[in-house]
Amino acid sequence: MKNSWTGGEAATVDVPAAENLALSVHRCQSGAFERLIDHFESALFNYAHGILQNPFDAQEVVQDALMRAHKALTRQYDEARCAALALRPWLFRTVRNLSLNKRRSKKSALNRPLEEFSDDRLGPYVGTADSELARREDVEMLQRAIALLPVDARELIVLRFMEEMSYAEIAKTIGSTEAALRGKVFRALRLLREALEKKGVTHAM
Amino acid sequence: MRCRTVLTRVDALRTGELDAPEQSSVDEHLKTCGSCEDSLHDVESLARAVKALALPSPRSFRDIAPHDSLDRVDDVWVAFSRRGLRMISRGSEDEFRVRYAKRYGRALERAELPENLRKQVTAALHGEGVDKPRLDLDFDRDDANDLEAKVLESMSRIPKGEVRSYSWLAEQVGNPKAVRAVANCVARNIVPFVVPCHRVVPASGGVGKYAFGSKLKREMLEREGVDVERLEELAREGVRLIGSKTTHIVCCPTCKDARRIREENVVPFRDIDDAIEHGFRPCKRCQPFAA
Repeated sequence: MKNSWTGGEAATVDVPAAENLALSVHRCQSGAFERLIDHFESALFNYAHGILQNPFDAQEVVQDALMRAHKALTRQYDEARCAALALRPWLFRTVRNLSLNKRRSKKSALNRPLEEFSDDRLGPYVGTADSELARREDVEMLQRAIALLPVDARELIVLRFMEEMSYAEIAKTIGSTEAALRGKVFRALRLLREALEKKGVTHAM
Repeated sequence: MRCRTVLTRVDALRTGELDAPEQSSVDEHLKTCGSCEDSLHDVESLARAVKALALPSPRSFRDIAPHDSLDRVDDVWVAFSRRGLRMISRGSEDEFRVRYAKRYGRALERAELPENLRKQVTAALHGEGVDKPRLDLDFDRDDANDLEAKVLESMSRIPKGEVRSYSWLAEQVGNPKAVRAVANCVARNIVPFVVPCHRVVPASGGVGKYAFGSKLKREMLEREGVDVERLEELAREGVRLIGSKTTHIVCCPTCKDARRIREENVVPFRDIDDAIEHGFRPCKRCQPFAA
């Protein structure tokens, strides 16, 4: 990764090849929404998980967001709006809003009796590919360090480094400017580094 | 450029997101400042480590993608769901899909039409008439198509061999003044032949207009057993409803119960108020303007 600053890697990741997916979904082309799901579900899940730090809630949020997206694209937005839609930031924004709502309502619901929370609709969560990685101590440390960050720093770390979004896209997703984001990302990184050092990780990861 | 400024830009530099002058001054600074260069490498390694944390989605969300089924019967396309028929039309497959998307906002996958639905479609297409069609017209309603959904539903309850007027339909959907709007919905019928829009006729007589020609409408009605000529004769005389002297019940002229009134017992009426004034009650089956 020596020359990683010369190429625009983050900018080229994840641009649906030669297809305006939003428009295809709007026109209800066969399989278009399935393609959208395949393309985005993991990224959206990671983002929701980054904010909520809970796989069950994250799944619920992603499902809700995808259903809302389908409704909006097919029933609410007209053709021009779909054609001009920046699909990725838009989807991430939906997940963000729903995740933050969920986080807020969970906070206020902590005092309520437990049986009001029904988890029937959730499938079983099986930690899959992460299990072998998780055995490595560093990774576990990093996960914990991220979990301890304030939520706005956490989501930036996820968007910028896990999803490799460009500053422009992140600005669109969370509603900020690129200039402000540089500072925010810098501070988030510094917090992350500090958290790691507190856990005794001083070497580069 | 000062270290503070550079530090907020190393991440953007990493991915090539700085504009040219900024990039060159940051590059310049990095050549001379060891600690800033270190932090660039630090960002790179953290980025790699965080990237490796990405999880696959714990389950596939594909199953929430809604779609309905599509099949072909004779020369028409038929869209259906597990619950019933949703749309019927001639024309090209692409046209049909586009129209369906506009209406239901769903994609269509090719599948085999179940036998019970196929029977209904075939019967309808051959002009045999269908009673109680199995339909699924459950598009998410909004103000614009709520009326349409109600019209289609009420219309599908008009039995074979009978006709109703547009104003009757307007009354049925609870919007007696919106006769024009209701008639427009009838004309836009998305399940023609199966939802019997041909059984809706003008109260003033005749069979009225039809998307596939008045002649076909007349033929279909006659084939289903409607005495169109008698209807026209009644309309000319200003008779809209028929009552029975023996039961004191008043019906639409084509109602099954009206047709079995003996000729000497038939009492003609101009409208429902007229009938009620004479002590008649509206038929519960054909509901001539539930007064």
